[in-house]
Amino acid sequence: MPELSALDFFILFFFGAFIGLAGSALGIGGGIFMVPFLVLALKLPMHQAVAASLVAIVAASSAVAAVNVERGLANIRLGVTLEVTTALGSIAGALAASRLPAPALQLLFALVLFPVSALMFFKGSRPPGKTPPPLAPSHGTSPFDSAFFDPALAAHTRYTVRNMAPASFVSFFAGSLSGLLGIGGGIVQVPLMNLVCGVPMKAAAATSNFIIGVSAAASAYVYFRKGLIPLELTAIIVAGVLAGAFAGIYALSRARSEKLQLAFGALTLLVAVKMLLKSLDTGGA
Amino acid sequence: MNMEAMFSERYFAKLIQRTLLCGVFLSLGLIFTGLAFTVAGSAYGPGVLRSGVLVLLLTPAARVIMLVYGYWRGGETYFALMSFVVLALLAVSILL
Repeated sequence: MPELSALDFFILFFFGAFIGLAGSALGIGGGIFMVPFLVLALKLPMHQAVAASLVAIVAASSAVAAVNVERGLANIRLGVTLEVTTALGSIAGALAASRLPAPALQLLFALVLFPVSALMFFKGSRPPGKTPPPLAPSHGTSPFDSAFFDPALAAHTRYTVRNMAPASFVSFFAGSLSGLLGIGGGIVQVPLMNLVCGVPMKAAAATSNFIIGVSAAASAYVYFRKGLIPLELTAIIVAGVLAGAFAGIYALSRARSEKLQLAFGALTLLVAVKMLLKSLDTGGA
Repeated sequence: MNMEAMFSERYFAKLIQRTLLCGVFLSLGLIFTGLAFTVAGSAYGPGVLRSGVLVLLLTPAARVIMLVYGYWRGGETYFALMSFVVLALLAVSILL
């Protein structure tokens, strides 16, 4: 690992704070940006970047979950049930990653980023505030059903959870991507819970964040045992992430996020292109 | 949902929140101490940093332990079992 200069120190801290802030304010983990930043800007080896990113994700998830759980946003029963397959997937992903060469991982990362950026553009350009399907809880109830208080609507929102079997199945792959690439996996989990299970967006984002803490930890253990976590660098990022996450929770939680969402979409696309070029550059030789 | 269930649900959420915050702040304390040691050139730096990162990584596991406890106490055997399976997976991942 390259020696860290004082400048690297500050860059890492502020980048971590940016990720933590984005994670807590937007409800998306910024894990997507962590690995490209470490690989492209700091020239860290891919596997170490993935490991450091996973640790940062655990930090962001734990800080944000502490607040979401208390507000009753995260559906813990749903979360812990999906955690079973997600954790299984993330361990498998981490074990697979240790057998893959860095260029292959980078290529896979780039390929995942393209649809993610499209998704972000789509989300950012949609008119905000409309809560879509008011699903009537017609066909009975499930033990996962829950409710939360939505300050925007000033009312309790009740919802029924459906399709747990396919959701558990897909969660395995969300976990695998997380363990392989050092991303949180919320990019799969949130739409999955929202569209397949019928969980309202806010609860889906909070529950996904809750799940991600465990799945990222599960794969981070694998990297930790293999000695792939760059300690100093990771410690500085974690300090930044936590500072940013707590700032975001208490200051920005009500800020409008659509504009930010679009900006993130553009940033993701740019990062995808750079990662693709990098993987072809090192892999082609 | 009756009043008693609501109350225990709230208590449960507080328990999970405290577990997460404890882990995060303990880890942050160790990380700052470790960084200070490292900057000062002390040989303890890396060890303290390592324990800080480890505490952070164990925080989700501690949260899952609370879930096992909470659902068991609340008589929700199914969710206690699910939480236990998750805990077992984490243990496998650490010890494998």
